[in-house]
Amino acid sequence: MKRNVFGFVMAVALAMPSSAFQNVKMPVDLDKLSERASESVDVTLDSSMLQLASGFLSKDDPEEAQVKKLVSKLRGVYVRSFEFDKEGQYSPGDVEAIRSQLKGPAWSRIVGVKSTRGENSEVYLRKDGDQVGALVVIDAEPKELTVVHIDGPINPEELSELGGHMGIPKMRTHRSDKDQSDPHREKKEQ
Amino acid sequence: MRDFEEELRRALARREPPQDFALRVLAMAGSQSKLTALAQLRLWFCRVPMWQFAPALAALLVMSGGGIYKQHERVAHGQQAKQKLLTAMRIAGSKLHHAQDRVFAIERREMMQ
Amino acid sequence: MVGEGQQRKERSGLVATLASSVTPVLTDVGPPTFVEMLETHKSMVYSIAWHFLRDRSLAEELAQDVFLELHRNWASLKSRQHILFWLRKVITHRAIDFARKRKVRPEISLEQTGEPSVSESGHDSLLSSYLERMVASLPEKQRMAIVLRYQEGMELEEIAQVLGMKTATVKTQIFRALDLLRSKTAQRLGKGQGAKYERF
Repeated sequence: MKRNVFGFVMAVALAMPSSAFQNVKMPVDLDKLSERASESVDVTLDSSMLQLASGFLSKDDPEEAQVKKLVSKLRGVYVRSFEFDKEGQYSPGDVEAIRSQLKGPAWSRIVGVKSTRGENSEVYLRKDGDQVGALVVIDAEPKELTVVHIDGPINPEELSELGGHMGIPKMRTHRSDKDQSDPHREKKEQ
Repeated sequence: MRDFEEELRRALARREPPQDFALRVLAMAGSQSKLTALAQLRLWFCRVPMWQFAPALAALLVMSGGGIYKQHERVAHGQQAKQKLLTAMRIAGSKLHHAQDRVFAIERREMMQ
Repeated sequence: MVGEGQQRKERSGLVATLASSVTPVLTDVGPPTFVEMLETHKSMVYSIAWHFLRDRSLAEELAQDVFLELHRNWASLKSRQHILFWLRKVITHRAIDFARKRKVRPEISLEQTGEPSVSESGHDSLLSSYLERMVASLPEKQRMAIVLRYQEGMELEEIAQVLGMKTATVKTQIFRALDLLRSKTAQRLGKGQGAKYERF
C-alpha cells in the first residue's frame, strides 16, 4: 500500500503556528518566458471564473466530478507552464521570484527534491488556521518550468490522484526511479 | 518598398462591422430552424402567406436576439473556463504526483542501503 | 492570424499532451463555439468584403451570409484553423463571384480617382482613402490578392490556397498590382511626394 507522503507532512505543517494571510503573485517576467517557449500554458482563474467553470463540469464524468469536488471552495487557480526546445531558456532568478514569496512563516515547504540533472520539485503549503489555505508547486527541469498556485482549501492527496488517471500518459520515467546506482540520482533536500 | 507597403497596410486595415452585426447573425442563425417549423405550421393551419407575419417575426427575432446572444456568450465563456480548469488541475495533479513519486524513489533507495 | 498559418512544432512532453491546441499563450483550449468564431472573425470577414466591394451594405450582407453558412456547416468543421481557412475561402470566393455577376466594380478608372491634397494636414487619411479606392479598381484576382496580403498579412502560399491558384501566379499578381498602384500614386501625388514611391 502506498505510503501517504502528503498526509504525514501536512500534519506536521499544520501543527506549526500560522501567520497572516499571504498571497502569491505570478511575476511579470515569468509570463515573458512564453516568448521563448515552444509550448506554454497560462491559466488564471479567479473565484468568479472558477464558479462559472464549475457550473459546466459534469457530475456524470468521473474526472470532472472529482475536479468539481476539489474546486468547490477554492479562491483561485493559477498555472504557468513552459516547455523549451533547448536548455538555458530560463534563469534561476525566474524561479526565485516565486520562491521568495514563499519564505514567510505561513508557508512550509513540504517537498524539496533536487537532482544533479537539474530537475527540482518543490511543494509548498500555506496554513490558514487548522487547514491548508493554499498550495504552490514548482517543477523546474532543464527544458521545462511549471508553477502551480492553488489558492484556497485544497487536499494535496486528492489532487495528486488526478495526476495518475486523468487521460494523460503515465509520467515520464526518470532514470533515478529505475537505476539504483545512477550517479545522477536525486536527493531529498532537508 | 517598405514605405508604400506600409501605407497600403494602413489603408487596408480591418474595419469593424456595425455593432449589432453579431446579434443579427445569431438571431438569424437561431431562427433558421424556427422559421421552417413556423412556416409549416402557418401554411398547414392558416394558409396565410408568410410575408404577412414577417414584420412581427422580424421584431420578435430582434428582441429575442439579445437573449440568445447573451446565452451563447455565457455558454462559450463557461466552456472555455471549464477546459482551462481541467487543464490546470491535470497539470497540478501530475506535478504533485511526480514530486510524490520522486520522494518515494529516494526513500526506497535509502531503505535498501 | 499569421501564426495560425505556421506549421505547429511537433508536440512532446506533458504540456503538449495536456493542452491539445496551444499557441504561445493558451487562449483557446477546448472545442471552438460558433459565438466565439463569430466574435473572433467578424472583422476579418466584413473587412475583406468591404475592401473588395467598397459598399458597406453589400459587405454586411455577404459577411452575414458567410456566417449563416458557417452555422449550417458547423458540424463538418473541426478546428479553429480549419474554420479560419474556411471563412477566408468562402468570403473571398463569394465576394469575387458577387462582383462578377453584378459587375460590381467601382466604375472609377485609376485616372479618375481624385487627387489627395498633399498640402492639407489630413494627408495620411486622404492617402489611405485614395489607396483604398485604387485597390478597389484593380481586376478581381489582383484586388483580392492585395487585400489578403495587406489586410490579413497572409503568406503567398496561404493566399494561393485560398484563391485556388499557384503560388507563382499569386506572386505575379501581387507584383503587378503593386507596380500599378505605385506608379499611379506617384503620378497623383506629383513628383515631390511621389518620388519616394517611384524609387521602389
